[in-house]
Amino acid sequence: MKKIRDFINRADISKFRFWIQLFFFIIFIYGGYFSINLGNSIPVFSCGYDKEVGGMCYFLPLQHQLARPLDVLLSAASISVAIGFVTFLLWFIVFNKAWCGYACPLGTMQDWLTGLRKRVGISYSTYTQPQFNKLKKIKYILLALVILAPIGVGLGLLGGEWRTAFCEICPGRMITPLFVGDTSQWSLDFSTKSAAVLTTIGLIFTGLFIVGSFIKKRFFCFFCPMSAMHYIFSDVALLKLRKDGDKCTKCGDCYNVCDMQIKDIADDVQSTNILRDDCIFCMKCVAACPEDDVLYVDFINYPIFKSTKGGFTKRMQMDSLEKKDD
Amino acid sequence: MVNFIKRDNDDIYSKPIMGFLFKNQKFLLTLKIVVLALFLYALYFGFAHTGKDNTFTYALFWGIFWSLFMVATLPTFGRIFCGICPHGFMGKYITKFGLKKKMPKWMQNRYIGLFLLVFGWWGIYYMFPGVYRTPLGTATLFTVMTLISFMVYFVYRDMSYCKYICPIGVLTRAYSKLSFTWLGTYKSACNECKTFECATACPHGLKPFTFDSRNSMTDCTLCMDCSDACEAVSFKYKKPSFSLFSKFQILKAEVWAYILILASIPITMSFHHGIGRSNAADDMIWSKTAEFFKGFMSFGSVDPIGLFAFLYAMLFTISAALIGMLIASKILQKDFSKVFYDLGYSYAPLFILGSLAHSLETFFMRGYKQIVEGFAHGFGFDLHVLSLAQRGDSWLHVFGLLKWVAITWALIILYKRMKLLDADKMRKIIAYPFAASLIVFFLSVNMYRAYIIDTYGRASGDHRSHKVMKNFNTHTKGVAKKVTATDIIYFTDKNPVAKKSSGWNGSYMQGGARREVPSKKVWPVFKNESDKLNCIRDIHANLYLLDTNLEVTKVKQSKGRGCKSVSFKMPNNGYYNLFYSDSFVQKNTLYTSTAKYEYMRFNHSNDAVYDEQKMSAHTIKEIPFDILRLREDGETFYHRLYSGDNIRIKAILNSKPIEGASIKLSTETGWSKTIKTGKDGIATFILLKDYFPEWNKFDRRHKNKFLLTATYTQKIKGEYLYDDYEKIKHTVTYPSMYYPNSSAYKSYAYGLLAAVVTMLLSGVAIYWYRRRNYQPFKEVRFDEKD
Repeated sequence: MKKIRDFINRADISKFRFWIQLFFFIIFIYGGYFSINLGNSIPVFSCGYDKEVGGMCYFLPLQHQLARPLDVLLSAASISVAIGFVTFLLWFIVFNKAWCGYACPLGTMQDWLTGLRKRVGISYSTYTQPQFNKLKKIKYILLALVILAPIGVGLGLLGGEWRTAFCEICPGRMITPLFVGDTSQWSLDFSTKSAAVLTTIGLIFTGLFIVGSFIKKRFFCFFCPMSAMHYIFSDVALLKLRKDGDKCTKCGDCYNVCDMQIKDIADDVQSTNILRDDCIFCMKCVAACPEDDVLYVDFINYPIFKSTKGGFTKRMQMDSLEKKDD
Repeated sequence: MVNFIKRDNDDIYSKPIMGFLFKNQKFLLTLKIVVLALFLYALYFGFAHTGKDNTFTYALFWGIFWSLFMVATLPTFGRIFCGICPHGFMGKYITKFGLKKKMPKWMQNRYIGLFLLVFGWWGIYYMFPGVYRTPLGTATLFTVMTLISFMVYFVYRDMSYCKYICPIGVLTRAYSKLSFTWLGTYKSACNECKTFECATACPHGLKPFTFDSRNSMTDCTLCMDCSDACEAVSFKYKKPSFSLFSKFQILKAEVWAYILILASIPITMSFHHGIGRSNAADDMIWSKTAEFFKGFMSFGSVDPIGLFAFLYAMLFTISAALIGMLIASKILQKDFSKVFYDLGYSYAPLFILGSLAHSLETFFMRGYKQIVEGFAHGFGFDLHVLSLAQRGDSWLHVFGLLKWVAITWALIILYKRMKLLDADKMRKIIAYPFAASLIVFFLSVNMYRAYIIDTYGRASGDHRSHKVMKNFNTHTKGVAKKVTATDIIYFTDKNPVAKKSSGWNGSYMQGGARREVPSKKVWPVFKNESDKLNCIRDIHANLYLLDTNLEVTKVKQSKGRGCKSVSFKMPNNGYYNLFYSDSFVQKNTLYTSTAKYEYMRFNHSNDAVYDEQKMSAHTIKEIPFDILRLREDGETFYHRLYSGDNIRIKAILNSKPIEGASIKLSTETGWSKTIKTGKDGIATFILLKDYFPEWNKFDRRHKNKFLLTATYTQKIKGEYLYDDYEKIKHTVTYPSMYYPNSSAYKSYAYGLLAAVVTMLLSGVAIYWYRRRNYQPFKEVRFDEKD
């Protein structure tokens, strides 16, 4: 038992993560070719506009469901909304935000763009802390859009093109279908004024997504409403990222490796549940922590991956080369 | 006294805007004076203009104060209604110069006010509907109340009127327990206080520093005089109804206020106005009792049905509460009175939230218009505005949720208060449903009302059904016709007589009851020589339905007068085909006339399986001549036709493809094209772009309707119903529609342009930014000579 544990704790998490991400990328983007269908309540951005999607992003059906006329929505249809939501929750609570770091195809694409950026030799940027605090609210605004826009359609206040208002502006809609050779989303819709505005914003965001991924790690995840949605329910999730503040030396290694620039991971020595709304649960911080048992991941209170001194030294020797050019 | 205090985060006084609204004395004084002035002006206006044209008095008293403002503020901010009440405002000054006597014991009875409200107001309201709500009635009522209040204020001290005589004093005190605000004090400051400014400042003689420890704000009306006297007074956000979750000194009148008001408002309204307006109204017990008593005595101008509905509502409500609590107290082995009054506080949300839903709905439907126009009228303007919503607007249903919130909330309060009782846990669990008897009763009355209206319908005196009937009678006369041999019949899904402006659509239903199986309704129609649309008064033709499992059933036409329609249910996903088949012999020719209607039902469920065999186009053997729209490769449930698409039409005579049948495609705009079928019996059409609106009126869901009409003449001799014929003229119609192609409104060029420009601009901007901020390494040398 101890051997297995040691093996896991000394494992090279980045390789493990790469393969898992590739696996999920194939499942979600090309699942249709293998007749895989994991339903349409998946808590990641595996875009439903991709014709071969192997499991659909929950936001597309959610918006369609919420856009029904209100009397329908509040009567029989509420059951289907509830079923979709419960399915979403069941998927989500198992892996918590690890969906972002390990399964989300849009996140994987950004990681690959980051890899490309490293090869090309462009340096990356970070936000200053005040910028960070202001910008992090955007995802909640987008989440409000996801929920309120279709309800507005159901109320008759907004036109039908607002039904999937978030999808219209989501870069995932343009980029994901490209992987199955579908470029049909890269167009402006002039059928109504708001559709024209929404699709224009969508393509502008797509442009920003691509440029942003070259200057910032996980550029889009910072604004992702799914991440906000995850965070709301993360307290009930089974997989947890925990911290033992008493043992923390505040060295800041975890903060330095964090793709999402979460300051709390190093600064906060009070909370045991260290998961924050921006976190993508990539577990890089656990791997980078030089102390024993300070950061650990547990599944239903059973620790499965811990920071250890031994693991740290092992990984540092391996990662020393990569670290240099970062 | 404290001049400065560091306020907590949840203190409303510390918030910039809310703090101003609730603490700034100048603002509050101005507000109270404005309210008083409006009040007096409306009274004067009511006496001066007693006619119906006086909309101002009504708007002020019945549009805003009662009940909109009161029910909207009570469960949210608390008793601010009392805080700005003109009676209380004037009373404060009157008491100052008054006799300051102590109120006699018999008058210190909170049931006086409650009795005035329940019987003096609601009882009278049901017996003589409308008597209070005329301008003169309103003005008289409030003048009398004002005079009484001023007298009581003058004679007795401590604003006793508010506590005991005011009809809504107990009500506001009781329901404000649900609010999320709390007037209290900062304990740290009050512990050292020796002067008690807050208590001296209080016109009601209350002690704000005891509110927190008593867990009750007692008779506080939120006039905010104490917060002016001492800074240690706080006004905080709390969990709604939090004080009900722990112990406090109960007031029996409050529990009775919950019960009696619940009986006299929502329950009586459900009886008298809800069920009373259904077709089953006469079978209800209160109507029967009224009928019974009518035999013995004359009621004069009293509305006996209203009176008995009120009395029965009282009886049922009180017994539901008493019996349930009695059983609960027996199970808990506790004193009845303790159980009843302790747990009775859980009834609080039932009325106020239900009433809030009703008031908000009324506000959007009528109130807003009444208030704006009434105020304009009161100040000499003439203004007409539209209502914010129409009766039946779907979004108004959102307020229906509040009733469920009320029930859930009541159950939660009951649970929390049950916890406070010390009794065996098992007994508590068993007693809980009995203690909830009134909540269950309230729920069942609501469901019963919806059931009655759903089952028996609204009474026919209602304006709604009236309008529809009128519609049919006037319009169908000229339209409904008999069919002749040469008429080309086709199906339409649009009611040929319905006018667009009929405000009600038939699909509206009470509550959540919806039909499980969707159905489709179509009308067979034809055009006469002058291109006028006619429907059929009586369908003699055979009607067949081919369902998704390829089974054929016969269908019947609709009942009733006017245009006949055909409805069929669609339980499964897939294509349904409806056939109308008729034959005539005329001038030695047999005419077979077929109308086909193909419709795909798809409920967007994940379980739907696209079976290509079943989903392909089918005909039935009962139809001699038919056309099929052949499916293209890769069609799914999401298939739609778009302009620019090819459609292939196959003509079939007696189950064999037929060459040389002429097929005409005609669009609504009048364009048409005729093609003869080829050897394989197939004719191919291109759906042309036939939609050219102005760019800002473009609708991508625009339906280009078209009709396929296939004819084929067969030289064959025969006999049909004892008539000889020499040839057969076959006709079949098939209506369908297509949407504008996405190329009509989508542009890749602009799309790519937007993305590329963004990428270039942001790329360059970032490059430029980085260049500017880039500082090359410089060696700094220090000269150490100095």
